[in-house]
Amino acid sequence: MTAPLPGGAAPKRVALVIGAGSVKCAAALGLWRTLGRHGIELDMVVGCSGGSIYAAVMALGYDVDTCERLTRELWTKEVTERRDHRGLLGAFLPKLFGFDGRFGMVDDRALAKALAGPFGGRRFEEAAIPLHIVATDLANGERVVLSEGSVFDAVRASIAIPYVWRPWEVNGRRLLDGCMSDPLPIDVAMREGANVILAMGFESPYPKRIRSATRYAFQVNSIYTNNLLRANFAFHNLAHHTEIIPVLPEFDQPIGLFDTDKFPYVIAEGERATEAQMPYLHRLLATPSPAATPAPAPAAAR
Amino acid sequence: MEVTVERMAGATVVHIMGSVDGLTAETLQGALRSQVEEGNVRLVGDLSGVDYTSSAGLRALLATLKAARLQGGDLRLAAVQPNVHRVLDLSGFTSILKLYGDVDTAVASFGAASS
Repeated sequence: MTAPLPGGAAPKRVALVIGAGSVKCAAALGLWRTLGRHGIELDMVVGCSGGSIYAAVMALGYDVDTCERLTRELWTKEVTERRDHRGLLGAFLPKLFGFDGRFGMVDDRALAKALAGPFGGRRFEEAAIPLHIVATDLANGERVVLSEGSVFDAVRASIAIPYVWRPWEVNGRRLLDGCMSDPLPIDVAMREGANVILAMGFESPYPKRIRSATRYAFQVNSIYTNNLLRANFAFHNLAHHTEIIPVLPEFDQPIGLFDTDKFPYVIAEGERATEAQMPYLHRLLATPSPAATPAPAPAAAR
Repeated sequence: MEVTVERMAGATVVHIMGSVDGLTAETLQGALRSQVEEGNVRLVGDLSGVDYTSSAGLRALLATLKAARLQGGDLRLAAVQPNVHRVLDLSGFTSILKLYGDVDTAVASFGAASS
């Protein structure tokens, strides 16, 4: 938690931000394991899209090994194998079948079942570490930060990949994947008072071949998201004085959505990338800040 | 982090060694600023010895870049290591800064252009 410093210096408030990155976000488990090994505690966790899953399991207090098992259970072929035929018919024949904007090509019942395991009935208010999850309002494109209520709803909304899974309604707003508005939500951690931010981000891969409408949708999303990620990352690094420590795992092999056999590799890369930042993080936390950002009151959905 | 300055024909080379981060960026920015204030606005940052940069390091580089360009000069980077290059790329620096494989090429680039 907030690192105390000698001489009444401003304390450091450490945040972890886990950006969009689908299954690669499992690298956050490696980061978590490394922080635990070094005795570094977090004041808040922020997650977006795939990163929301790992932010939520950390905040809710699951241990790393349990998270690894939950990850394997989540990313199975069953999660995307069933098409949402009603949704597809509505999209292509709207006059005949009706179209109300709740569109996704993939039936989301298997996804909901998988998410219900770790998140069903769990609420933000019971999180051991303050948790914030980012989604996007379909009606106006606004970034929506969810910090209270149902964790299941927040995660389901945050991973609602456009065209693939239908939007998810939370507090009367129809929400899409957070990567559409803020793929690496460093700014949420800043607003919540963090002055040291570990930012684990991922660029979405571009597949060599596009052989399905689903793959086409992923490709278009990747283009938007990668460009937004770069623009936001540049702005947040340059426009503020919060210390942002990028943690960027490198993968020298493609990581597919269902490559569960590669989880040990993904997690190991997360550990490696985090370990590389530890000497600096230790020095930084031991050094007084000239000024700290005051912690604001607990946030509700915005 | 250590900073040493070397005058070369056509440019001033700032050799930077170590980590450019929240604890060292002020030192770097001060060293770069003093070069600009002395009128040495054709600057080459030798990053061959830099293994890490955080947001504070990026801000120091950007402040120097702006100051040098305002006076008709430029800040160009040489021998950027892969870890640092990733951060520069992700934050858009590779599209606004000129990067070269080594110091000699970066210095020579000033001779090939007006600034």
